[in-house]
This record gives sequence, C-alpha cells and structure tokens, in this order.
Amino acid sequence: MDAPAGRLSMSTNTSEKTANSSDPEPAHGPATGRRRVLQDISSVLGGLAAASLVSDHRLRADVASPLQPKVIHQPSRARSVIFLFMAGGPSQLETFDPKPLLNELHGQPRPSQFGEAKYQFVQTDAKLLGTKRRFRRHGQSGTEVSDLFPHMSTCIDDFAVIRSCHGDQVVHSAAQYELFSGRTVPGFPSMGSWTLFGLGSESDSLPAYVVLPDPLGALEAGQPMYMNGFLPAAYQPTMFRPGDRPVLNLDLPSGVHLHQRQRTLKLIRELNEITLRPGDDELEARLNSYNLAFRMQNQAPEVFDLAHESKETHELYGVGQAPTDDYARRCLLARRLVEHGVRFVCVVSGGGPGNMQWDAHKDIEENHLRKASETDRPVAGLLKDLKRRGLLDETLVLWGGEFGRSPEAQGGKGRDHHNLGFTMLMAGGGIKGGQIVGATDEIGLRAVESPHHFRDIHATMLHQLGFDPNKLTYPHLGRDERLTFLEGNVIDQIV
Amino acid sequence: MLLRAATLKLVSPACILAVWFLVNAGTTPGQDTESTRRHLTFEKDIAPLFESHCLRCHGKTKQEAGLDLRRRFTLMTGGDSGPAIVPGMPQKSLLLELLNDRLMPPEDEPQLNDQQIGAVRQWLASGAAIFGKNERPLAAGSEMVDLVSDEARKHWAFQPVRDVSPPAIADKSRARTPIDAFILAELQKRRWQPAPPATRPTLIRRLYFDLTGLPPSPEEVAAFLSDDSADSYEKVVDHLLASRHYGERWAQHWLDVVRFAETEGFEYDRHFPDAWRFRDYVIDSLNNDKPFDRFVTEQIAGDEIQPGDHEYHTAAIFHRLGAVRRNAGNPDIALSRNEVLTERTNIIGEAFLGLTVGCARCHNHKLEPITQKDYYRLQAYLAATSEYDIPLASPKAHEAWEMRTAEIKADIKKLKARILDATEDQKPQLQQELKQLSHELPSRPPTIPSIRNDFENRTAIHVLRRGDWEHKGVAVSARPLSVLVTTSEPELAPDVTSPKMQLADWLTNDQHPLTARVIVNRIWQNHFGIGIVRTANDFGTHGDRPSHPELLDWLAHSLVDNGWRLKPIHRLIVLSNTYRQSGPVPNPSAPEAAAADPHNRFLRHFSRRRLSGEEIRDAMLAVSGRINLKAHGPSVMTPVDPELTGLLYNPSQWRVTPDPREHDRRSIYLIAKRNLRLPFMESFDAPGLQTSCPVRGASTHAPQALELLNGTFANDMARAFAERLTRECHGDVDRMVERAYRLAAGRAPTPPERDLSRQFLHEQPLAEFTLAVLNLNDFIYVP
Repeated sequence: MDAPAGRLSMSTNTSEKTANSSDPEPAHGPATGRRRVLQDISSVLGGLAAASLVSDHRLRADVASPLQPKVIHQPSRARSVIFLFMAGGPSQLETFDPKPLLNELHGQPRPSQFGEAKYQFVQTDAKLLGTKRRFRRHGQSGTEVSDLFPHMSTCIDDFAVIRSCHGDQVVHSAAQYELFSGRTVPGFPSMGSWTLFGLGSESDSLPAYVVLPDPLGALEAGQPMYMNGFLPAAYQPTMFRPGDRPVLNLDLPSGVHLHQRQRTLKLIRELNEITLRPGDDELEARLNSYNLAFRMQNQAPEVFDLAHESKETHELYGVGQAPTDDYARRCLLARRLVEHGVRFVCVVSGGGPGNMQWDAHKDIEENHLRKASETDRPVAGLLKDLKRRGLLDETLVLWGGEFGRSPEAQGGKGRDHHNLGFTMLMAGGGIKGGQIVGATDEIGLRAVESPHHFRDIHATMLHQLGFDPNKLTYPHLGRDERLTFLEGNVIDQIV
Repeated sequence: MLLRAATLKLVSPACILAVWFLVNAGTTPGQDTESTRRHLTFEKDIAPLFESHCLRCHGKTKQEAGLDLRRRFTLMTGGDSGPAIVPGMPQKSLLLELLNDRLMPPEDEPQLNDQQIGAVRQWLASGAAIFGKNERPLAAGSEMVDLVSDEARKHWAFQPVRDVSPPAIADKSRARTPIDAFILAELQKRRWQPAPPATRPTLIRRLYFDLTGLPPSPEEVAAFLSDDSADSYEKVVDHLLASRHYGERWAQHWLDVVRFAETEGFEYDRHFPDAWRFRDYVIDSLNNDKPFDRFVTEQIAGDEIQPGDHEYHTAAIFHRLGAVRRNAGNPDIALSRNEVLTERTNIIGEAFLGLTVGCARCHNHKLEPITQKDYYRLQAYLAATSEYDIPLASPKAHEAWEMRTAEIKADIKKLKARILDATEDQKPQLQQELKQLSHELPSRPPTIPSIRNDFENRTAIHVLRRGDWEHKGVAVSARPLSVLVTTSEPELAPDVTSPKMQLADWLTNDQHPLTARVIVNRIWQNHFGIGIVRTANDFGTHGDRPSHPELLDWLAHSLVDNGWRLKPIHRLIVLSNTYRQSGPVPNPSAPEAAAADPHNRFLRHFSRRRLSGEEIRDAMLAVSGRINLKAHGPSVMTPVDPELTGLLYNPSQWRVTPDPREHDRRSIYLIAKRNLRLPFMESFDAPGLQTSCPVRGASTHAPQALELLNGTFANDMARAFAERLTRECHGDVDRMVERAYRLAAGRAPTPPERDLSRQFLHEQPLAEFTLAVLNLNDFIYVP
C-alpha cells in the first residue's frame, strides 16, 4: 500500500508539544527520533500510513505518523475547531437576519420578484410567515440579534455573522453531508477528518477528533456524515457516548480489577517481546499502542470529569440547570478537550425526531424558543470561558446548521427547510468578529449580497488553521481531492 | 498591413471577415473604453479573444466537449452540454458562466481578464451581434474529430493483452512455476536475492488464512507436518480450494469491490432484508468456480439472460447495492433517478473496468482519455434498468404480510398522534408502546430485490452540463469508451432490447484489455498484500504502473485460456516458490533492496499480513471453539451497545437475531449496515460501505488495543477459550499452555513462553491468560 501522504510532504519533526496539565509524564523532548516517531505511529487513532510504511521492518527517513502535522502553508491562527452544530436547520429569520418586510407581507404569497425556490414540503401556493421575534442591536458593533439569544447577544462582538450562506440541497441527509464534506453524498471526508489530516494530533491520551452527539438521538445523515471517507482510518472521528465514560472500551470489563489487568498487560508485552525481532518497527508500534491504550484508559476519564471545574464555571455554562444542563455539559467538555489538544470537536444540538432538532416544520415559535433556551447560555458560556482562558484566539468556533428555513409558512406556524440563504456564525481563531457578512433579500429567501457556499466556510476554516484550501489534498481515484473542491473562497472580510 | 487590408475590403464578405480577424488580432477588446459604448460584434470583439484563448481546443483541429467557438452559429448550437450562448441573455449563457467561474480556459492555459470577460458579457447582453448579415460557413472537413489522442490509445492498459512467455532466467534452481520466472527475472536484474522457502508450519498457517480466512486446527497442522509425500502441499491447496470456506473468504474481497451493503444508507438506511441473497450468490459462484466472464455477465445483465430466473436475478442485485437517497416531501424524481444512475455507472467503471469513469460526469476527464460523452454513453446501457422485487413467497403469504403491515402502520400512526397530545407523564409509557409496536412489524416475506428493463419508462440519457440533471446537453445512446473502440464505432440504437447484455458482452470479450487484467490483479493483491498494479480500481493513465507488466499479461492470458476460471489462477499463485518464500531474512542485498523497494513490490520475500477484522473475529471464534460454521441465509445482527443503536435514526432497525448461536457465525454472515458498522470491524479497517473499496488498510492504533483488551467480544472469547482449555486439558497447566499456543498461533510455545505463561497462571485467572494469547502478535498476524 502506498503512503497516503497527500500532496503535502509530511514533516518528520515532532509535533509541538503543548502544555498538557493532565499528562503526568515528562514531555517528550524535541525530535527524540525513532522512539517518538513510533509513539506517534501508534498514536491515539492510529497509523495506517505509518504501519504500512514500516511493513518492511525498516523505518525509513521519511516515515512519519499520519497524525503528525503537515506543513502549514501560512501562519495559522487557530489550532482547534469547535463546531456548534445546530442540527435540523435553525431559521435565519428568527435568529440573526431580521426582515421587517416579511412581517408586512405576512399571510401573502411570495411576490414574484423574489424568484423561485424549491422546498421539501411546502408548495408554491404557501403564504409568507412573519416572525414574532424581536430584534435589537447589541455590542459595540450594533449587530442585530433576536430575543432568542439573551446570552449570545452579550458576546456578539466576537462573532462574524455570515448572513449569506447557501447550500445545494434542501433535504437533511444530503445537506448534512454537504455541510460536513462539501459533497451531497456520503463517502467523502468530513471537515473534522480534514482538520486532523492537516494538523495531526497534539494529544497522546485523547482522540483528536471528537463528536459529542445529542443524547436525544441520531441525525438523518447518520454516522457516515462525520466519517473520514477515503482518508485513512487514522482520521476517523471518535463518537462520544452520553455519560461519564464517553469512549467505548475505556472501561475494564466488569469483575476485572485494574491491578489484575496490569499484570495481563505485562504478560502480553513479555510474550510478544519474546518473538519480536530487533528493528521490527511495526510490531514494536503495536506493543506501544497497548501502552497508549492504557494511558488513555487512565488519563482520559480525568479530562472527561467536569467535577474539576469550579461552581462558577458550571454556572457560566448552565450546568446543573434545566433546560441547559445537557448542552452546557457538552460545551464545557468541548472546552476541556481543546484545552488538552483535541483538534476538532463537534457539539451537536438536536437529535432524534425532527422536532427534537431545530427542524421546526410544525411550530417555529415552540421549537426555536425551546432549542434556543437549551443552547444560548452554554454557547455564550463557552465563548466567554474560552476568551478568559486565552483559548479563543486559537480556537475557531463555528455555529450553524445544514440549512435555514423558509420565509413561507408550513401548516400555518412552521417553516420548511431552506437552502438558498441562511446564517452561520464564526468566532475566535483569528476571525474578525463584530461584523456582518453578506445579505439575503428583503424576505430572507436568497443570499443576494456576497453569497457564501459551505465551501467558503470550509475554505475560511482551513485558512485559519494555516492551510491553503486548494493545497490540502489527498489522492483518491486518480484525483487530488480537496475539502473545497477547488471552488471555495476564503471570506476575506473576516480573516 | 492596415492599408493592404483596407484595399481588400471590397472584395467579398468572406475576405472582410478575414480582414477583421487580422485587424483585431493585435488589439485587446474590452480594454478599449470605446468598446463599452459602441455596438460589439462577434467578429470584431469576440472572435479574437477566442482565437488567442480557446480555439486550440474548441476550433478547427479539436472540438472538446463537441464545442466549436469559431462562429456565432456554432456557439448557439453549442456542444455536449447544450447551447453555449443565448443572445440577449448573458445570465443564461453557459459560456459566460464558465468564464465567470474561471472554469474555462483550464487552469494551466492563459486566462481572460475581467475586462475581456466583461466584453463577452456585454456582447451577449446587446444581442450577440455579428458583423454583417450572414456568417461565413465553416469549411468542410471540420466535423467532430477523435478526441482521444494516439498517445492515450497507446497507454499500456488499453493495449491488447499480450501472449507472453515466461522469461529465461540464469539461475533456474528457484523457479518452480512460470510465475517464479517472472519474479526472479526482475530480482536477478537488480541482483537481489529471494528469501528462502518458508517453514512448513508458517506455510500451512499462511495458506489456511489466505484461502479460507480461518486458522488451521492443531490437528490439521500436525497432519500436514507429518505428511512427507512429495505433493503434500498440493493436496492441502486442492483441499482448501474445494472447501466451502474458500468462497466465504474470497467473497468478502468481491463484496468490498462492489460496495456490498444490505441497507440503503442516507437518513432512512432502509434494510433490504434479502440482499444477503447476493452475498450467498457470490460465495456459491466462487465455490463452484463459475467462470469470471459468466460471473460478470450475470451481475450486469442477469435480468436479460433469462427473465424470471431466480439465480440470475439474484446476481443482478448488484445494481441495487449502492446507497440510495430517499426523502419525504416534494421528491425530485428526475434528480433521484440521476443519482441512482450515476452511482450505478461509477461502480461499473471501478469494479469491472478498473477506471475512474465517474470523474467524467461533470466534464471531460482531466486526467484520463475519457470524455463526458463517454460517461453518459456508459450510463445509457442502464437507461431502462429499474427496480424489480420478485416475491418468493406465495401470493397469499405476501398479501397477508401487506395487510398485517398496513394494520400495524395504522396503529403506529394513531399512537404517534396520541403521543403528540399526551402529557409529559404519559409520554414515556406511550413511547414504550410505540417501540413495541414497531418491533411487531413483520419482516417482508422472501423477495429478490432485483432489477429489470422497463423500456416504457426508459430515462433519456443526455450529457449533463456539470453533471446537473437540470442542464441537459446532447442526447446519447450506449457505446463503449472511445479509447477502447475505433472512432467510427456507432452508438447502439436507443431501443436495443438487451442493452446490459451488450455491455456485458463487450466487457467479457476475450480481447478486452481491462476485464481480465483487473481481476487477476485483484487476486494477486489479495494473495500478496500488494497488487502488480497498486491502484486496483484505477488502471488509467494516472493510475499506478504495473511492477511486472508481462506477468500481469501472462496471468490475464492464463485466466482467459482457462475459460475464465479463478481457481486455476489461485493454484498457480499459491504453488509458486514466490508465494512459498519466508518473510524477510538478512542477506547481502537486503539493505539496498529494502531501500530501493520499500513496499516489497518485487517480492524479495513474503510480506507478513495483519489479519482483517473479519479474520480476527472468525479466528477468535474458531480458537475458542465457539464458531458456528453454518453457511448461507439471512444476515445476523449481534447484540450491540444501546449507545450504538442510539446513533441510528431509527434504532428499531437493529433487531438482534434471537438465536444466540447465530451470533457466533462467520463475519461474512453478519449484516452489512451502512449506518451502523460494528466498532470491532471499524477499528480493524473494515470498509466504509459507501463506495467501492479496492484495498483494505492495516492500521495500528490504540482503539484496537482497547477493543482487544476491554471489548465485550474479546472478553467473551477469552472466557470461552478458557472453558475450552479447561475441558480439553482437565486443568493441567502445562497442557493448557501448549494447547493454547497450538490453537492460537499454530505452533508449540517456546520454553520462555511456557515459563512466563506457567508463572502467570499460578496467580492469575485462566481467562486473563487466554485474553493475553488472543492479543499475541502471532495470533493477529500471519507470517
């Protein structure tokens, strides 16, 4: 098998070791050569490339772990990404894109000058639906935010509000694939996997790309949405489970004691060492993966334990309080993860049946009041917490869903899916906040001013991470594939 | 020059045009502010731009995508993607769209600047005028030319398979079969030494896993080691190739390639309760050594061979195996159809042709000599193919199922309505009822989820601009790829009665340059871990070059000569000395060779292989004695963590197979569900199930260690293994250690291994020892 080196040369330098408070072991010295490389080979999520490269029992000079960082193309601002995924499609009209004309036209059919749109459910004869939300200007920037977000509005100056987002699909699964991978079909790497592919891992006791799903249930595009596609298995996401022990197989089987298992591990090592030939790097790497597994087992739960946080921090996020508790816990965990070097964390709001997501077909008021009340304070808490810890500068925060919602009413009070114009937010990681990007038309139907496709969001994200979006490539079926399909443009206004 | 031109001005309209070309050739239209005010014409303002930027590919000598930019009328006729311009409507003109999006001219060609593009826009907006009344016709002899260059036709994989003889080699002592001659010739050229023969215990273990995916039992190993007849190895080879476990192992390789899964993926991930019939068809076909040309034909054109025949229709499930997007609401039927046809066309390219035809869906293939028209012509073979479920149960049983399903669905609907109106206190109870109810939905009676031709509803196939079904270009009919036929090869009539049979006939023609090469390369890859061509799904000009081109041709030729039977090819390979080599050994040429050939493409030695996820699981079941070797039948769903089913959009889809003995069946009989892959398989590099998987990875990472140490399955197996040892060895520690090694590693323990194990067992439970044995390198890797 070939090394999936992509077009970028892989650096053999050791990754920059960041302060890792939960790592009691001495930090590895810089470029301690083979040992370090081997450790990386067996690093948290794997080493397809490395494992196959060393299958010749010989570690060549250009052998590097797939989880080592690639060459950064340009100065980077962000070293981690937190994606606050508002699944189901939050309405632009109730949140960050006020449309007074829409209220004036409430109950009327859409005037023809706004053009056509295809929806999933509502037909062409549907009537426009005004919003009951009130908008007010906030912060020094005076950015308009609806009354759904009393907390997020207090940090609005950190956000760039991109009002002119658009995608190609109006159904959940295809739109979710596009949001994550830039393609409307499954099988392509997600932005999390691309991030990990580009940046490598910083932590050796934690998985580097984590998804924190909503315990309410799964989303339409399912697990394949988060996956590594054709990128090697090393770039897979780790799906966290609800509860205190979120990673599969980190627990000892019931009835087995730690000291006993340590003894078993010792036996495994000793038996394997008997047959290990000197210089057999692949099998040596396999032995090291057991050390690493054991380290994860012992150290990761420490990171997952929110009891280490102060009461004040819990309150800041809304931990322990209805209705914010669940999302607050996951946001706080996201902060702890990026603090320990995790590269990409996706915190999903919404799961299971549509109305448990932001998918407000039936009643936009009921749905969005509920979803906003669950997430507003945790999101604001996360922003403030990152900021006061100096982490916001190096953590890119992305907020949004797979599409927005229709200006027309569905069934009187709901809104249908809508992909031609909706809002996403970006903050931190060098993003210039306190500004609005682009605009939709007067009823919020279509992005008309500086429209930005998902690919532009991806391009901007990669840019902040230090990559030229067109140069972060991986060969697949005869082509150099990119997250941005050669069509993404960095949103210059905010970088 | 200007003066001379002026004097010619009065001669003829044709000359006038020529003059305009001459006069304007040196200026840059669009930069002239005058031009923004005066009336633009094609000849004066536009043609010169095209002349310098576009005509090399869209002019007299070449008309890429069927587009000729030399006249306004050729622009209006357009190319494969339809008209290039609509006078008066710049926003509807494809030409301008491509210029604006910087898709044309191609990246590496000189680009038009903004002003020049502005001039084109303005010309279009003002009605796309020409100078004078009529345009000069194009000279004769400039009709569509062959877009495939001679150079592309000369690419090795498009050449006929050569009938080569094994090379003569200096030192014949190491050559047992013709394959060895090819391999040794390359090694001798480089003065590299092959490795010595592997030991017999190594060989038997390698062969069993390779041909059956299962470890040899200690008794089978012992029998082989004590058989000193000259053909003892051949006997085992023939025995294993005749064993039904051969089909169970090699079917997995084919299922990887054809993106086999038993659910539709996307949001609903609906189950095809009968897709397992395709898996059984593949297993049986391989076990019966069905000729590969026949195997291909049945999968591609099963419905046309003999309509109604169940086996052939089962083969044709092939077309239905891709992920399908279904959605509620206003469905775009044409879009869905386009997605299905796209998926089905791409897989034929990858699986059978070993070409990435899918890249030509939106534009002529940038890297390969495959035009966009070629792509849609390939798709046209499938234009009439539609879904067709053949019920196998009696009509009465089928009717009963439909009625019962309708009843329960009605109840579910009612219950859902109640839940909406229920109080928070009532909800959990009602949710529970709902769950119960959805479990009561009866399984569909046996059905073959196949396909057939529906000519009445045949999809008209057009070249689609940028692959978008709403932007239809010229209509096309079926035809093989241009690079593989002569330019004059006509398209099939659109109403040909057996279109897929035509495709299958073309693919399985003994002279086809790709089909045989692609399959023998896959077989080689799965025996040695690396293909002669490493990009098994890409034999195009940008794919990998073969390490041993003559050997590949010799194998392909042998396949066709043997009536396309695969077992003789396996036999040729595993009987070779090349296959029977040991792993790497120190020798004088080793360091230099390892540096020059890091992936061991030249097979200086045999490359150790990490078992696949399926093999590890099957081997654990075999070693622990728990394996249930039952063959065939509906796929099994094993118990999984509720957190995993919780990740499904519809958790009730995961219905654990009630009989626990079924949970211990070989991995090939476990369900392949797109939205729920078993974590065990996932961590050991099982394919993603969305698209074709040409080669498995073999990564090493910590979650594997966690799976084998803490995973429920590993610990279950360790306990069963411990029980087996206790049973068989009556608690005798020495015998247990001996037996454990013989079962799991295929050999006796060495003295230090014995000592360590004995020591451990004095103080620790047996199930911890067996767990350690299942974590041995010698268990997870085959030498």
